[in-house]
Amino acid sequence: MILDVTDFSDGHVLQSDVCIVGAGAAGIAMALELIDSGIDVLLLESGGLGAEPDAQALYQGTVQNEQLHSPPDRYRQRRFGGTTTIWGGRCMPFDPIDFEARDYVPHSGWPFGIEELSPFYPKANRLVEAGAFAYTAEEAFDRPSRPMIAGWSPAHYTSNTLERFSCPTDFGTRYGHKLRAASNIRVVLHANVTGLHLNAAGTHLDSLSVRSLKGRSLSVRASRYVLAAGGLENARLLLANRDVHAQGIGNPHDVLGRYYMCHIAGTVGALKIDRPLDDVWHGYDMTDDGIYVRRRLALRPEVQRASGIGNFIVRLHHPRITDPAHRNAILSLLFLAKLIIPYEYGKRLHGGESADLQTWFRHMGNVASGPLDAAAFAWHMFTQRALAARKFPSIIIKSKANLFSLDFHSEQQPNPQSRVSLTGDRDALGMPRLKVDWRYTSGDVDTVSRAIALLSGDINETKVGRLDYDASQLEMEMTRYGAYGGHHLGTARMGTDPRSSVVNARCRVHGIDNLFLAGAATFPTSSQANPTLTLIALALRLANDLKEGRA
Amino acid sequence: MGAAGFIGRRVVAALSASDWAAAVAASRRTGGAADAVVVDATDEASLGAAFSGIDGIVNCVAGDGDTIRRNADAVFGAASRLNQPPRIVHLGSMAAYGSAVGRVDETAPLLGDLDEYSKAKAAADVRALAYPAAVILRPGIVYGPQSPWWSDRIARLLMAHRLGDLGARGDGYCNLVHVDDVARSVLLALRTPAAGQAFNVAMPSPPTWNEYFQRYARALRAVPLRRISARRLAVELRIVAPACKLLEIGARLAGARSAALPPPIRPWLLKLCAHEIILDVAKAQTVLGMQWMPLDAGLQSAADWFRGGGRT
Repeated sequence: MILDVTDFSDGHVLQSDVCIVGAGAAGIAMALELIDSGIDVLLLESGGLGAEPDAQALYQGTVQNEQLHSPPDRYRQRRFGGTTTIWGGRCMPFDPIDFEARDYVPHSGWPFGIEELSPFYPKANRLVEAGAFAYTAEEAFDRPSRPMIAGWSPAHYTSNTLERFSCPTDFGTRYGHKLRAASNIRVVLHANVTGLHLNAAGTHLDSLSVRSLKGRSLSVRASRYVLAAGGLENARLLLANRDVHAQGIGNPHDVLGRYYMCHIAGTVGALKIDRPLDDVWHGYDMTDDGIYVRRRLALRPEVQRASGIGNFIVRLHHPRITDPAHRNAILSLLFLAKLIIPYEYGKRLHGGESADLQTWFRHMGNVASGPLDAAAFAWHMFTQRALAARKFPSIIIKSKANLFSLDFHSEQQPNPQSRVSLTGDRDALGMPRLKVDWRYTSGDVDTVSRAIALLSGDINETKVGRLDYDASQLEMEMTRYGAYGGHHLGTARMGTDPRSSVVNARCRVHGIDNLFLAGAATFPTSSQANPTLTLIALALRLANDLKEGRA
Repeated sequence: MGAAGFIGRRVVAALSASDWAAAVAASRRTGGAADAVVVDATDEASLGAAFSGIDGIVNCVAGDGDTIRRNADAVFGAASRLNQPPRIVHLGSMAAYGSAVGRVDETAPLLGDLDEYSKAKAAADVRALAYPAAVILRPGIVYGPQSPWWSDRIARLLMAHRLGDLGARGDGYCNLVHVDDVARSVLLALRTPAAGQAFNVAMPSPPTWNEYFQRYARALRAVPLRRISARRLAVELRIVAPACKLLEIGARLAGARSAALPPPIRPWLLKLCAHEIILDVAKAQTVLGMQWMPLDAGLQSAADWFRGGGRT
């Protein structure tokens, strides 16, 4: 059932077997997995069923460098469904190499291999409504699918791995009915956790303090607790509770909040492909089960090892929108539509760059030069994205000149200096606010620059075309829009050694026998992959641990 | 009884193929290879004459709520008056359980609270249970070649991409059972010593309706499956369904076949697609010895029939 804090009297004590904090991708996935398990589950959500500015404002904080990281109340949503209410829906699993300890990636290595998550990926895939767990073209189609570039097989990259796309599914809207109907699940809205109360020895979580913005106070007593509040908020909650452990819960060795990773992403270069137009395909295909999928170029794992660089993928992309020199009516239309595109998506479309009047006029001129193209594109986006329940995932512009840019998404190395911490400011509930100090390393720059160089070599070698890019500008391009928004990883990393990790291999906080973390905060490394699918698989694994008494 | 209907025809065929039964096909109209009699299934006197000398009766009569009630009264009334009340296998429906959710076995109350059909099916089961030699079979969604709703109209809706992945609206369980499995369960029920009992008849781990649409669409090659938005379903219910009704009336007035018209999506279908009920079929497996046709094979048989020009 779905309740509100106002359904309880002030001071009421809620009891349950398991209490999950946060009704986003991880929390809702866990609750769904625990339906009819015989376990009494309490799922606490800070927000309501819709967007509420007061609840969202609790996420406000500061960033060390505004050029490098978006404000903490952006790219995450404090409401039922969490950030699945705004996510883009791009899904792919981590690669086996991501779990390995690699001597060329400092602090790398998960305490298990991909085989620990493999049993949970297919179900995670179903929950995000991305169809079958089939992430290569050969697995996804029982017929030959269009190659990215016909007959092209680069030495250092594969082009048969796929991205699959969720609707994008809003977990609150999609699965609320199941949580409402479940007799063993109680969702409580407007329930903000403000205190985690340990026993005197600091080894067991006794209770939680819960407050609403309207002043209602409750307590929660559960046998086991799971923090599933997101990659930034999980760290904030643990750091903010210092009455028993002076540095915060799970932080005796100053690991909590450190190793903060996003992804390194950017758009570079001009790739001219010397092949017939029909031999090149960089758009979406649709599988029989109706899922949009798209090929990408993925740096082969053996090449990563041989080159000593991180994981990396790249997509063929349209030229940068802001520069009207592309003379493309559709791209200019997107520039002109910047005011109606949400911040989270507009940032990488427009980069917040201010444009002078002349630039605006040149974009208008581009639109005027191709009104039919612009109108057809607008109609496609209206019918296949705005109106569609399964949305066309992104903007695809077919270049009539076979000219593309490269859109890359790269692993970021774990770095203890990249961190989140608490400030002296407090939110409306008295909780200390977060400060984000995201940093990248020379290793990150190295991964991008060497991966692009390898691709450039492949292109030259195979004579498929020509890639022009300015190697000296790569670092600027990979940080042009700062850290990739919405991917908040590593702040409470997983490991076997409490001196270098916050949770163990089963996601239990070291030294606390009944406190678990769900979500991407536990990821020791970031992969090239978007994190949602993997964090859901990890959450399902934890839910099964809870069900089967392993946790 | 009801031998000319979708299930009745299969039961007659299965009986005729057995080495222990001679089938007499009873229906409103004559036809078929087996011995046939014309009966009014709601008339006790007519049935009394037809039942004479019959060892077992299979009641497959379908219809609206009133027909279902009157049929049950007539069948069990007529049979009760015979010196040796014969075995009656009565085809009930999962609809008798009404709005029950979760795993439902045969001991669950017959709520019959969904609509008039569900109420009548529950009432008919109560009537059947009062008859000492009855075996009640409660099938789920009976599909297979010639299934008018579940293999024909659904196929047409999938081919037209008017049905597909319904999201949360298709999370209900689709308790499919192939018509050949139903026929087999009838034959087993005729000979089981377990009289006076009911049996759920459906595949043991049913797919959701979304999964059913996906797998059937694949078998039909009606792919890619489309995600159907709430907005589109609202248009189906408020605009397309009334338009289909008007067309149907027009076709009837013109003397044309209404079966060729585009099928409407009705509110009861959407309610069913969201209904999270799973029939527990353990009893049919252990007592009757039922085994089930694998879903993919069953769907392929339905798709082959449909693609071969099928129609009921």
